[in-house]
Amino acid sequence: MKILIVEDESKTAEYLHRGLNEQGYTVDVARTGTDGHALALEHDYDVIVLDVMLPEMNGFEVLRAIRARKQTPVVMLTARDRVDDRVHGLREGADDYLVKPFSFLELVARLQAVTRRGRAHESTQLRIGDLEIDLLSRKAYRAGGRLELTAKEFALLALLARREGQILSKTVIAEQVWDMNFDSNTNVVEVAIKRLRAKVDGPHERKLLHTIRGMGYVLEAREDGASP
Amino acid sequence: MRASIATRLAVMFAVASLGVFSLVGIGLQRVLHRELVHHQLREVNTRLEYAGMVVARNESLERWQTVRAKLEAITPLDGSVRFWVVGPDTRFEYGDAPSALRERLSTRGATGPFEFELQGHAMRAASRAIAPHGERPTVHVITAVDSTRFNDTLNSFAGALVALCLAGAALVTLLGHRIAKVGLAPVSSLSQEAQSLSPKDLSQRLRLSPLPRELADLVSSFNGALDRLERAYAQLEGFNADVAHELRTPLTNLIGQTQVALAKERTASQLEEVLQSNLEELDRLRAIVNDMLFLARADQGEKALDRVHTSAAEEVSKTVEFFDALLDEAGVSVRVEGDAQASFERSLFRRAASNLLLNAIEHSDRGAEVVVAITRQQAEVRVAVTNPGTPIPEQHLERLFDRFYRVDGARRNSRDNHGLGLSIVKAVAKMHGGAVFAMSTGGRNTVGFTLQDTAASPGATPA
Repeated sequence: MKILIVEDESKTAEYLHRGLNEQGYTVDVARTGTDGHALALEHDYDVIVLDVMLPEMNGFEVLRAIRARKQTPVVMLTARDRVDDRVHGLREGADDYLVKPFSFLELVARLQAVTRRGRAHESTQLRIGDLEIDLLSRKAYRAGGRLELTAKEFALLALLARREGQILSKTVIAEQVWDMNFDSNTNVVEVAIKRLRAKVDGPHERKLLHTIRGMGYVLEAREDGASP
Repeated sequence: MRASIATRLAVMFAVASLGVFSLVGIGLQRVLHRELVHHQLREVNTRLEYAGMVVARNESLERWQTVRAKLEAITPLDGSVRFWVVGPDTRFEYGDAPSALRERLSTRGATGPFEFELQGHAMRAASRAIAPHGERPTVHVITAVDSTRFNDTLNSFAGALVALCLAGAALVTLLGHRIAKVGLAPVSSLSQEAQSLSPKDLSQRLRLSPLPRELADLVSSFNGALDRLERAYAQLEGFNADVAHELRTPLTNLIGQTQVALAKERTASQLEEVLQSNLEELDRLRAIVNDMLFLARADQGEKALDRVHTSAAEEVSKTVEFFDALLDEAGVSVRVEGDAQASFERSLFRRAASNLLLNAIEHSDRGAEVVVAITRQQAEVRVAVTNPGTPIPEQHLERLFDRFYRVDGARRNSRDNHGLGLSIVKAVAKMHGGAVFAMSTGGRNTVGFTLQDTAASPGATPA
């Protein structure tokens, strides 16, 4: 996957570059609007991360110029979160919009959502280690034994399983499972994860549901099997 | 700059007095004119009577000399009274009647008093026909007085009136200005007093005691405004202190922890620990900044635009569902009562409901039941969250929605909750044209908000 980052703030550009590289993306960085515009037209990127406040050409201008020639998905970044700005960006053809300060995890989630569109349908059977999940019958098994999950617990597990190995922030989890799309400042997600963990990992030696402190949660079968 | 009140009053006095004086003047002029005319006519008629009698008594030509002599005798030398006798026979005539007079008699006959001009003098005249007698045929006797003097009198009277009116109006204007100045003296002293109010001492107020009633009302309203300003200012100052405190704590942790970590060589896991802790602090900062920005936007009057028509109870239930695990842990149950269909911005509504529920859960003991009551009054939808809890004193109730306000001065729960939850509820209500309320009665605390359902126009029956 190839990503173009158009961002003039060097620290931001740098950490985005490194972070996305580590997530397995090929990343190009442009420091000005005109460079970004030129690169976007020259190469075929899977997605473009575009800042609004840019020297030479602002983000909206770059977006308009790109849209005149190409349909590459674009995620806009801005420090302003007025509704008009958001509407403006989306009307000009942006595919998504992130307000600074955003969490890196959220950016990755949005990038995946934007590039996932149009891809082949996901499988309905998931298997992580000895955990099996049937998304159709909404049942989960660990080491062959049926897990007794509530509807929300199942939705939470399914979300983590579909994004296996990917860290999901509390905000993303709250939004995807409960449709609560704002910072709730509560430990609801923590409590829910704790309960799910008791059911999924409780008696088992090998832990699958891991907490990444300060970031979120990840479901994966790790070599050592220990949860930090 | 607009004219001062004194000047405006003076101008109004001038216009009013000029009007009144003019009316009086015109009235006086009319009366005088009528009286003068009356006087002239009486004079004319008296003389005409006499002249007519003289003419009627003398019927022969030789006696006509007597008539002439008599009429001549009563004609004053200054020509202020004139007599004429006009008839078909020139021998029985007197005076040399001007042609205008003859013409008038022949066309209109001897009717009523009339006016005409003689050698540049305005004359007021009356005539009488004398029946034929002896040799004398029918003749007309005409008497006229010169009204020039009367007119002069009238004119000089009018001139005097105009001059007096103007002088009077000018006097009234000057006096009016002076009176207005004196009358408005409390206003200028008030303005001086107001100028001496300084931003350094916000508790200063304008004095009420020496003021007339009209100004006292104004001053007490003004003092009321000062009261509100002082409160708002105090609140703002407290708010700034709170913001500084809330931001300073995570910043202190960030700086301190990072410095400690860098002061010595650390293992990767120790550094990881610091980074993780820093991330938590940063997240706290982000949450505070986001909430403050949200509140600032609501303060600037941003409205909920993304409204959809939906069931309030359903949204509350979704929120309760979100809190399921938390409620279970706290051993608290929630009951939703009533419902209302309304159009509101779903995520804002859930945010407000979630903050209210969280607040209720935090302040409930195990086994408690939280009740969410949804009611509707015309276009107003009301969501009230009640939980059993220790009574909240009156002075706290009204400040519950202030930013960073906490009933217990000690910042308990500061980590999870930075004290903006209920302010956000207030902002959401405001964005929906509603308000917030808080009550504490009989060991039950109720906090809630209302919102205006724009879809329901007043008078329309709800579907």
